Amino acid sequence: MRILLVEDEADLLVSLGKALREEGYAVDTAADGEEGLYKAREVAYDAVVLDVMLPRMDGWEVLGRLRESKRTPVLMLTARDAARDRVRGLDTGADDYLVKPFDLEELFARLRAIIRRAAGQTRNVIEIGGAVVDTAARKVTLSGNPVALTAREYCLLEFLALHRGETVTRTALYEHLFDEGDDSLSNLLDVHVSNLRKKLGHGLIETRRGHGYCIG
Amino acid sequence: MKFFHSIRWRMQLWHGLLLALVLAGFGSTAWELQRENQTGRVDRELEQRMGIIEGAIGPENIPPPGQLRLPPREQNLFEGMPGQAFYYAVWLRDGRQRAASAPAGVPRPERVPGPPVFRSRGNFRECFHDTPAGNCVLVGRDIGEELAGLRRAAWLLAGSGGAVFLLGLAGGWWIAARALRPVAEITATAAKISDGDLAQRIRPADSESELGQLARDLNNTFARLQAAFARQAQFTADASHELRTPVAVVLAQTQSSLARERPAAEYRESLAACGRAAQRMRGLIESLLVLARFDSDETPGALESCDLARIAAESVALLKPLADEKNVGISVEVTPAHCRGNAGQLAQAAGNIVANAIGYNRPGGSVRVTVHREAGSAVLTVADTGQGIAPGDLPHIFERFYRVEKSRSDGRGNSGLGLAIAKAIVEKHGGAIDVASEPGAGTTFRVRFAAAQRISLRGLDNP
Repeated sequence: MRILLVEDEADLLVSLGKALREEGYAVDTAADGEEGLYKAREVAYDAVVLDVMLPRMDGWEVLGRLRESKRTPVLMLTARDAARDRVRGLDTGADDYLVKPFDLEELFARLRAIIRRAAGQTRNVIEIGGAVVDTAARKVTLSGNPVALTAREYCLLEFLALHRGETVTRTALYEHLFDEGDDSLSNLLDVHVSNLRKKLGHGLIETRRGHGYCIG
Repeated sequence: MKFFHSIRWRMQLWHGLLLALVLAGFGSTAWELQRENQTGRVDRELEQRMGIIEGAIGPENIPPPGQLRLPPREQNLFEGMPGQAFYYAVWLRDGRQRAASAPAGVPRPERVPGPPVFRSRGNFRECFHDTPAGNCVLVGRDIGEELAGLRRAAWLLAGSGGAVFLLGLAGGWWIAARALRPVAEITATAAKISDGDLAQRIRPADSESELGQLARDLNNTFARLQAAFARQAQFTADASHELRTPVAVVLAQTQSSLARERPAAEYRESLAACGRAAQRMRGLIESLLVLARFDSDETPGALESCDLARIAAESVALLKPLADEKNVGISVEVTPAHCRGNAGQLAQAAGNIVANAIGYNRPGGSVRVTVHREAGSAVLTVADTGQGIAPGDLPHIFERFYRVEKSRSDGRGNSGLGLAIAKAIVEKHGGAIDVASEPGAGTTFRVRFAAAQRISLRGLDNP
């Protein structure tokens, strides 16, 4: 899952970025509205965490202009908690709304929820054959036994599971699993897929030659 | 009792008392007039007949016993309507009654020399006269009907007086109700306001009346109250809003650091970030306290003669490191200009304006601080070569928490209160602050205080 974090408070940007990366997200950051809008338009993020008070272009405008072309889920962060502001945020097209100061756990949970909803899933737990992916606990079990996955492997599995039934291209996978600071080679994907197959069985992830991967 | 304290009841009571007095006075006067009128008429008739009788008996004549013989025309005068008939009686000097048409039992009046005397005896009105010859002539008449008429008149007056009294009371009650209706409305509105609905206003029915004036004054008071509450609420909202971001930093840092074991360097970094957030909160709290003090206290405190030039130079010296850090040149050009004020506060105002000029400058830009005297004023000018302020933002820059960039964080704890504090200080000193800006070229702040004479008699400075 790849997330764009737009926040002008440097300390908050750094600490949130770090915390989100530790949660297994690929995180891009932007420190002002213009940069945030540019990145959000260019890259297919799974979610955008958008502060309202931003230099150059405020969060409302970023959101409004992003909505002209993209449906990326957006979680607004704001220091204002007047009902008027919340209504405005949701009406402008925000998917959720979090008032500063917030607990990291709540931010993570809300992020998971908007990503899940955007993918058309309503539950935290996705069952694929014998494998169960718990997106809240970030745990995978196979026939009831826990399976140890690396963070990358888990993200790959989660992304495919959320887009179950769709063929996900290698480019899309690459875009969603690696952030702008990551210069991993794209053939790493094949390594992760083959590791997953070893741990979860070979039938789980299908290769659509020339197109990408799919979980049926 | 409650209703003796009600204005309406008290008005009604006094109104009723006055009305009763007036009616009683009028009624009794009218009745008395009527009675006198009637008595006067009867008395004149009696006097006329007295003359006839006296003529008939003559000055020296001793009338024969029995009825007097009167000419028929005059005899007629004694034979009126039944019940109204006149009668007469004549007594000789020795007390014997000589002639009488009177019913028996008319007592001989006491001797009263002089003109004829009138008396009322039961239902009779009588006039008697002691003639110079010593005889006593009495003429009388039954006035029972007149007395009955007077009694009827009295009842009529009392009845109509009572009716007018009741009508007057009802009218008074209605007028009092009308007059007091605006008071009731004011009371109701004030009650709503005291229940917390500050948007309520009194509808002034008649704006020219005394109560209309009161309603206007109260409405003005309510409006000021509401504005003050709104300012307070806005200020509190802004303040908590400003505190939210640093608290968010602290929460994110601590929660993420405590989520797992980390190398010491990461902890140090995290603590440093928390420290910065705490510094920012401290700066904000200090600014808020300063503003709260200004809001609650109208006067600038102890006044002394201050040299604006020295204050400006000291502020610049204090802020030089900040200017160096931002790579902003700063120049000072001052001539002594004294004004009366609180030196500490003036220094804070000057410092805030200069810090603002540095903070919103471009790297390599400059700030020029000048102080001079001008037409009885001490003027401080701070001109920068920064990005300037858009015309749309210009009217708002002295508002609390207003920032031209819709974001916080220049890392220096800029709370968005600096200019608001400066303005509060300047205005508290009776000075004026204004700003001119050209986007892209820079901004100039001018602060003007009434100049003080440096040396004056008895150490008092002229304002």
